[in-house]
Amino acid sequence: MNRINPLYAGIALVVLLIFVLFNLSNVTNEYHEAKESYKETLQLANELNGLNKIYANSSQTKKSLKKILNHSSLREANIKQKTTKSSIKLNSESMNLSALNFLMGKLLNSTYQIHSLKIKQLSEIRVSLEMEIKW
Amino acid sequence: MKFNKKLPTLFLDPHLEYETIEGKVNIILSPSLYWVKRMLLPVKYAREAKKLLPSIFEDNLPEGKYNYYAYKQEDEYIVFAYSDKLIIDTLAMKGISISSVANIYFAQSEIKGIESALTINENQSIYIKDGILVLVPCCWIEESGDLDLASIQLSKHSIALEKFGHIVERKSLYKIAAILMMMIFVVAIEYFITAQKTATVLANKDDVFAVYNLKSTTFQNKALLKKYTTVHKKQEKIRDTFSKILSIKLQNNIKISLINLKNKKIIVNFTGIKNGNENQLIKSLQAKKLVFSKSFNKDIMKIEVNL
Repeated sequence: MNRINPLYAGIALVVLLIFVLFNLSNVTNEYHEAKESYKETLQLANELNGLNKIYANSSQTKKSLKKILNHSSLREANIKQKTTKSSIKLNSESMNLSALNFLMGKLLNSTYQIHSLKIKQLSEIRVSLEMEIKW
Repeated sequence: MKFNKKLPTLFLDPHLEYETIEGKVNIILSPSLYWVKRMLLPVKYAREAKKLLPSIFEDNLPEGKYNYYAYKQEDEYIVFAYSDKLIIDTLAMKGISISSVANIYFAQSEIKGIESALTINENQSIYIKDGILVLVPCCWIEESGDLDLASIQLSKHSIALEKFGHIVERKSLYKIAAILMMMIFVVAIEYFITAQKTATVLANKDDVFAVYNLKSTTFQNKALLKKYTTVHKKQEKIRDTFSKILSIKLQNNIKISLINLKNKKIIVNFTGIKNGNENQLIKSLQAKKLVFSKSFNKDIMKIEVNL
């Protein structure tokens, strides 16, 4: 019987159909996984980018701190600055309460990474300040 | 047909009985299993002649489904009509499995050049009349020889049976095959589109890494995010704690003498504590839902808040 049995041809087509369906199912799963992975990466990137800008942007931190420390309200506090690779240390041996209020208001209401802080009362109206801000 | 030369040949006739067949056999159909005509046709090739055969045999065939075959012999065509179902049923009736059939031939094309009649069964003989092999009752012919199948050189005029042709119409088979192929085509297209979309999404993901200047692995990025999230939470807690402590209205004689943030801990010293006036302060701190530990040293109350 030289002619191809139509049943075999039909089975071959059905097998081929199952094969392509199986492959489609696999590639669809891969697509969904890739999409999920993309969304996850994008969300991670956004969050990381946002936090990176806040806590790891040394130039921006230095720039804004310089602006605050140059303010006339803090001139009498004589705040000494010591910058390292990853932080800046501020030190005032004596400053009045209004300067302290100004400085703390600015720092606490912004997103500086305050690593350490020590405010010690010296008298009724004066305090000493030690602070380290990181990036 | 070198391959088929080795196979035994069987003359299939409804009135003959057969022994059990082992292996493959070639079949020669008795004239009782087909219809044949010899005629001139205005076509060049046998395949063109085949198209004309349904109308040529229209008036001669009983109702049913037939297949056709034709070959050219000198200037004329020898044309055949046969029923797959009739042949298959005859094979089944004689206990011959269709799977053991190698090729099927017409007696017309294979038995040539016989001068006298040949007996094919108890009641019938075959002989050639006007170039057509015909079946006649034995009593019509007085001298009749025996059919020697071994001496027959098989021609190339074999036919293939459509085993399922009588169950499902060929057109229906084509339709089913077409639908299946269409589905395969559609699924294959969908496969390639999805694969392409996956590649695009993965490329976009790589772009995100480049645009946001991320570390090379997700693990590194997650670790970095965890680090920054911890920092962020700590900074929020610092500000929240300061906000709560500094918003408390202190009694006249109580003052904050020290604020110290170090090693995940905020320490605040309140001075001027005496005669139980710390109770109001403690209540105020608790009202702010501040979790702290306290200790006293003379007139100083020290509170510690863990970050």
